[in-house]
Formats: sequence, structure tokens, C-alpha cells
Amino acid sequence: MAPPARLSNSIFGIFRATSFRPALLRKCRLYHSYEYSQPPPFSATASAILASAITHVPSYGFTSTALKLGAGDAGYLDVSTNLLPRGVFDLVNYHLIMQRLALKDNVQFPSASEQGTAKKLGIGAKVRTLTLARLRANEPIIHRWQEALAIMAQPSYVPTSLAELARLADEIWFLAGDTSVDTSWYTKRASLSAIYSATEIFMTQDTSKDFTETEQFLDARLEDVTRIGGFLGALGEWVDYTGHSAVNVLRSKGVRI
Amino acid sequence: MPPRLSLGAHRAVSRAQTVRARLYVRRFASGSAASPETYDVVCVGGGPAGLSLLTGLRASKITSSLKVALVEGQDLQKNRLPHDASLDTFSNRCSSLTPASVKNLQDIGAWSHANTARIQPYQEMQVWDGISDARISFDWDSIHTPLTLRKPTQPTTIAYMIENVNTTTTLLSRLSELGGVDIFSPTKVESINLGTDTPSLDLSSWPILTLSNGKTLAARLLVGADGANSPVRTFAGIHSRGFDYNRHGIVATVRLGGPGRGGPNHKIAYQRFLPTGPIAMLPLPGNLASLVWSITPQLAARLKSLSPNDFSAMVNAGFRLSATDLDYLHTLEAGQAEEVAWREKHTPVDERSIPMKVVDVQEGTTASFPLKMRHADTYIGERVALVGDAAHTIHPLAGQGLNQGQGDAASLTRVIERAVQTGQDIGSLLALEAYNAERYAENNAMLGVCDKLHRLYSVESGPLVGLRSLGLRAVDAMGPLKGFFMGRAAGGV
Repeated sequence: MAPPARLSNSIFGIFRATSFRPALLRKCRLYHSYEYSQPPPFSATASAILASAITHVPSYGFTSTALKLGAGDAGYLDVSTNLLPRGVFDLVNYHLIMQRLALKDNVQFPSASEQGTAKKLGIGAKVRTLTLARLRANEPIIHRWQEALAIMAQPSYVPTSLAELARLADEIWFLAGDTSVDTSWYTKRASLSAIYSATEIFMTQDTSKDFTETEQFLDARLEDVTRIGGFLGALGEWVDYTGHSAVNVLRSKGVRI
Repeated sequence: MPPRLSLGAHRAVSRAQTVRARLYVRRFASGSAASPETYDVVCVGGGPAGLSLLTGLRASKITSSLKVALVEGQDLQKNRLPHDASLDTFSNRCSSLTPASVKNLQDIGAWSHANTARIQPYQEMQVWDGISDARISFDWDSIHTPLTLRKPTQPTTIAYMIENVNTTTTLLSRLSELGGVDIFSPTKVESINLGTDTPSLDLSSWPILTLSNGKTLAARLLVGADGANSPVRTFAGIHSRGFDYNRHGIVATVRLGGPGRGGPNHKIAYQRFLPTGPIAMLPLPGNLASLVWSITPQLAARLKSLSPNDFSAMVNAGFRLSATDLDYLHTLEAGQAEEVAWREKHTPVDERSIPMKVVDVQEGTTASFPLKMRHADTYIGERVALVGDAAHTIHPLAGQGLNQGQGDAASLTRVIERAVQTGQDIGSLLALEAYNAERYAENNAMLGVCDKLHRLYSVESGPLVGLRSLGLRAVDAMGPLKGFFMGRAAGGV
């Protein structure tokens, strides 16, 4: 994979790394490698506290109470939550990062040889599956997710939150097998980020059984993108034709172009 | 590069010289088995455009001494329209010939050979918007005001509906009357290559055609009238640009309940712009009419599979019911006839402004073809000229495809005449430039107008519908402006 094909973890990771894992920064690579596994995103202690804290989120929400209870469960004192200087935002961030990283294990696409004669799954269908899987990962805490969104919207946390959103979009396109190296690399990630965040907000208010309405909402947005893409493609084609025909008319009239 | 043999360069100077020059070539040609037979003009494709060009060349006194050949893949004699063809059945491949095209056919002496019983002139045209019902009507009587008095020379006919097979048969009859064309039919072109420079004859800039019957022809000027996938265009390396509309045009010959609202002497053509594409009903002699319905490929496939009864009902619905009703009807597998009958009762329409009801579809005439738009980058190359569909493919909504080809043929004939008169090499770019200059911009404008109309009327809702309806009504109300548009559509009458 070419260097620009994946957002580097470390560029945005600085926000996080300066806080409690300066040692990891040195190990971070500016590119994605299939040979080396990425270092774990959190130190062992922080990981232990945050992992237990997450289990308390359904009942206590994204609050310092959940963090304290988590620290207690992991065998640390309440005060050790000071290891996480951004407090509850670190808890939200932990959820975001862990779910993003879990995506590649949660969703497995059959390889070309395994599929055999079955219809090949397109990149679009893969993106849909992955996005849906990521949304479903929010299911256990969806009733608390609005609190998380409020925390993420706090001015000092916005850059980190947006960066994490960008990394999620990148992860989904990467796992779907997108190998574009043109300007569509950017437009694809931007449009998926917009769709994902809109669908996520829709999901917080979705009361339908098994979130079927969220699924429909996602499909409708993805269709919008295809339609706009088709329109832009046709527009490009038309502009190309019109440009050429203008030159051809001038040439037919004897202008040397 | 000029050929070393000064063949044809002084052709127009004297008849005797011409004959001598030709004999000279013949001797060479028969001297070696490998050398190709030399022609001044070789036309590939015996469609209306190619035949019109050859007839024009043979009919003109100036160019009648040129040695010309026609290569056509299909059997031209077999595909001729019989003289005693029944007036009860018509081919589904019809075109509307504008007065300008008819005048051209008259000039080359072909029109008198036409089977006039199978040609239907029409005097009025009704066009309306399928969403807003904004309407424009074209007839030459309605456009003159007290200020712009009707000229006695002004025609009353908008266009002539004619089967394509009638057009080609007409031209072939005239051509066999004139004689002097070496027709290779049915013969395919196997390959086109540039010739070689031999001590006796330098053909290195000449296209050499190898035919399926083993003959080789060298062309001073090779004319590509060989359709949208033109091999001649490919040989010349001329790029053709454009786009596919993702629409199919359904054609059929249908029988109406009567000869039309204006009676047999005042025929009316109808066109309704639906969001899926325009549907047009063009009059044929008697109670028959030619249908052209452009629609998405999926719906076209379904429409073609319907029973004649249901198909007729759908055509009637296409001119009468709302776009919403049609959307629903398109989803039905069968039984459209009852559904349409029920819906028509609840849709008020002005029967005088729409075509008479279709009662039957002539068997085996329902067919469809993909709609696209293509325009070659140029019509000319060294010793190559393109005419008709080889040069441009247009959306059929204005019925201009065949007329453009006729215009090309007439223009190229004039250009060749001029080249012969001034002693130029008729295959040189210098001589052919005038043809490209005369036709390219004009065809480009027509292609552009049809393309934009298609796009404008594909919109189903929003402010554009209001604007286009306003525009249509405004043009309808302004006589002189309407007269200008009609003049343009009639080919600059």
C-alpha cells in the first residue's frame, strides 16, 4: 500500500500520545505496513481501566462515575483515573478506537478463491456491510451515545473526534479493498464520513426493532451519493464533449488550433 | 502527396482528355494482377446518404465523368421496395424528410422515381410537455401575422414521412437510370490500407480497399457512408465522441381509429415529452401511423413483450395519461388494456389535440434500438470524407438524422464539383476543407439542440418544468420566432 493510502495513525495520535504514552510515539510508523503489527493504542494500565469502565457505560453513561467504577474493577484506586487527563473524553475515544480496530476482525469477507462461483461482492456492498457493522457496535451503549456526542462536540475535543472519524472512514474503505489513488480517494472518505456521522445521529433516535430504520437511512444516503456521483460523472462527460466540439467547430472553420 | 499520374486533375477541361487519362490507367491496372482498380470516388455504404451522394455526382454534368463505385454489405437489389407493395403494411423504419431534403432529391432527379403513394406529407405538428401540458403547435398557416404576409412560395408541408426503404429504392432507381456506377453488392470491405509506391504509380496516400470478392479498389476519394460504427472512420483515425442516453427508441407501425383529426389532406404529427423520453406519432398514408417512443431499456424490453392489445393501450396511455399513471402502468406484467380503459375515464383530455386512438399494431414491426449521440472530430481526412451516420449520430426526437445525411451528401457533391471545375485533386484536404466548414458547425448545432431538448425534458419536477413550459408557450405565442424555428427545422427554407 502506498504511503498516502492510509491515514497515518501518528499524525493525529499526537493529541493522545503526548498525554500518557510518549514511549509509543517512537514506535509509530507514518505508513501502514502488512509486515509489522501496529502497537496497541493504549498502555496496559489505561487499557485495563478503560475496558472495565466501558462495561459500566450502559448504566452510568459516559461519566466520571463509570471511570471510577472501572478503575475499581480493574484493581486501581479512584485517583488513578488521573492517568487519563481528558477524563470522560478518553473513555469515548477508547470506545471509538477499539471499535474501529475491531472492525477488521468482526467483518470477514470471503476471498476470491473461497467465493467460487458465488456473485462477487462489490466494493459498495462491502462498504455498506462495514459501516453497518460499525454502527451495530454502538448498539449496547446507543441510549448513552448522545452524551458521548456532546462530549466530542466540546471545542477542545473536536479535532481529535474529527480525526477519529476520518480514520474510521479510511479504515472502512481500506477494508473494503478500495485502491484508488486519484482525487476520489479524498471524496470517498469525505462522503463516507458525512454519511456515517449522519446515520449515527439518526441511530440515537431510532426506536425501530433491530434498528431496521437506521439500515434504511444508511441505504438511502449511500444511494444519494451514487446518484450525485453519476450526475457528476455525466456532467464531466458532457463538459468534455462540449469542449471538444467547440474546438472542432473552430477547426472546421479554418482556425488552426 | 500528389500521385505521379496526373489522373483526373484536368478532367473538366475536355472530355477527350478524360477518356485518354482513364484508358491510360486501365492499361496499367490490367498490366499487373496485384495493382488495384483505380476509382475517383469509392463510397462505402449504400444507405440514403451514400446513394444520395453518388446520384448527385452522376446527375451533375461536371462530375458525371468521375469513375465511381459503391460497396455495400447487403444486397441492394433484394432490399428494394416492390412497386406493387401493399398500402396496408409499412416498414417500421420511417423518417421525416424535410422540404430541403426533398428539394435536394428533386435537384438530382430522384424524387420523380419515388413511390408517392407511400409518402405522407404532414402539415401540422403538435408538441407538448408531459408534465405541465404546455403546448406548441406548428403549422405554416398559423405563423403569418398581418405584418408578415404569407409568401406565395412558402410551403404548407412541414415534412414528408417516408420509409427508409422507399428512399433507398428511389435513389437506386435514379442511379440505375443514370448508370455508370460500379456497384459491389452484397460485398463486404475486408480491409482498408494505404497503397504502395510502385515505379509506375504512387498510391502511398491512396486508400486501397480489399473486398470480400477478392477485388481491390484504389480510391482517390474514399467516402464513408457506412453508419455509426464506420470502418472508414476507423481507417482515417478520426475519433468520434458523444454519449449514450441510456434510452431505447421503440418503433412500430400502428393502425389508428381513423385517418386523423384533420382528415386525409391535413395530417398532423404529435410529440409528447415524457420524463422517460419523447413519444411521437407520425402520420403514414391511410389510417396508419409510425410510432417512435424513447424510453429506458428495461421499460422498452417490457413494452416489446406485451400483447398487441396491451401495447396499443400503452401507446394510447402515453399520449393521454399523466406521468404518474404511466409509471404505475409500466410496473404491470400484463392487463394494461383494462387498466388504461379505467384510467382514461378519469383523465380529462382534449381529444382534438391528441392523436386518434391506436387500435392495432402491425405484426412484427415492434422493435427498439439504443439512442446515442456521436459526433466525429472532423468529417475529412486525406482522401477520406464521412457523410451521414458515420459522421454524426443524433437523438431522434427532432427527426433530423436522415436529413443531416442528405445535407452532407448535397454539400459534398457541391465541393467535389468545385474541385473538379478548378482542376484540384478531389481527394486532397485542401479541396475537402470546404465540406467540413459548411457542414460541421451546422450539424453540431442541430446535435446540440436535440441533446439539450432531451436533457431539458428529462426533468420531472422543480422550477425547470415551469420555466420550460413558459418558454414553450412564449414561442407558441410569437409567430415570427416560431416561423424562424420552423424554417430551421425544415432545413433553411
